[in-house]
Amino acid sequence: MNSIAGTWDVSMRTPIGTVRAVMTFTEDDGSLTGFAEGKSEQTPLRDLRLEAGETQDHVTWAQTITKPMRLELLFDVTVLEGRMSGYSRAGRLPQSAVSGIRRSA
Amino acid sequence: MLAQIILFDGFDPLDVIAPFEVLSAGSDALGGSLEIRLVALDAPGPVVSGTRGLELTATHVLEPETPGMVILPGAAGPTDGDPDAVRTIPVILAGLSESSMPDLMRRAFAAPDTLVATICGGGLALGMAGLLEGRTAVTHTLGNDVLEATGTAVIRARVVDDGDFVSAGGVTSGLDLALYLLEREYGPRISLAVEALFEYERRGTVWAARGPEALPL
Repeated sequence: MNSIAGTWDVSMRTPIGTVRAVMTFTEDDGSLTGFAEGKSEQTPLRDLRLEAGETQDHVTWAQTITKPMRLELLFDVTVLEGRMSGYSRAGRLPQSAVSGIRRSA
Repeated sequence: MLAQIILFDGFDPLDVIAPFEVLSAGSDALGGSLEIRLVALDAPGPVVSGTRGLELTATHVLEPETPGMVILPGAAGPTDGDPDAVRTIPVILAGLSESSMPDLMRRAFAAPDTLVATICGGGLALGMAGLLEGRTAVTHTLGNDVLEATGTAVIRARVVDDGDFVSAGGVTSGLDLALYLLEREYGPRISLAVEALFEYERRGTVWAARGPEALPL
């Protein structure tokens, strides 16, 4: 779980443009939790799951943002060496690219 | 009773004019008991639409608690383009979340004697602002997927009646919304009289959460 623990600068595309958020993942006694800080709000990441892989880890979660618009998002990313990449999906909208970089401690 | 139609920078003129004229004719058919106003979110005055610079004038500011109807239209503008670079319709509608709109509309939803109605992107603007949690609505066809992604239940009907909140699809659906509101509030004699004057017969079904669910056909 160490691949994702830490604070990340993440960007994702939405129907109204690119959104940047800071996401923090914490490993506590084998369980993974996380929250996201966007424009003036902090939201918990729900159903957070990590699948450890041979070369990289696969992480998924659900998240509702309310700024810059309300969106119910499902994230599906791979994490390797401080870089996150994958996509987010909202309802029936086409998936959009997500990328993130972990901040060094 | 007061019907207030909201103007905002970039509004779609037909979203406004269709209900404005239909409700005005309905008011005439009633002998004037329904007042219709074009209102702004912050201060009265001219408001520029999203179509070729056409301007309409808001005579008052929105009063969300006054008994009657509060109607939010959609925006006119580009539907295509990179939202980071182009002020597309979704970008304009999301921008309303930063204005007085969410607070005023929250008050309109809470007011006991106010019905909230939206035409076209007006429904999407409310969904983006987080005001439609647990609600059922429709917006312009191009926006229904985005509306659904905000967590709103979307029914792809011409008009959706969710009780104290009625929404309609794109642009011309404003005619059907306003005729339906006249029928709902005053009866079909009034709405039929306006249909005859306008030479327009209502389109589509007004969905409501009533009756059995349809099996696949």
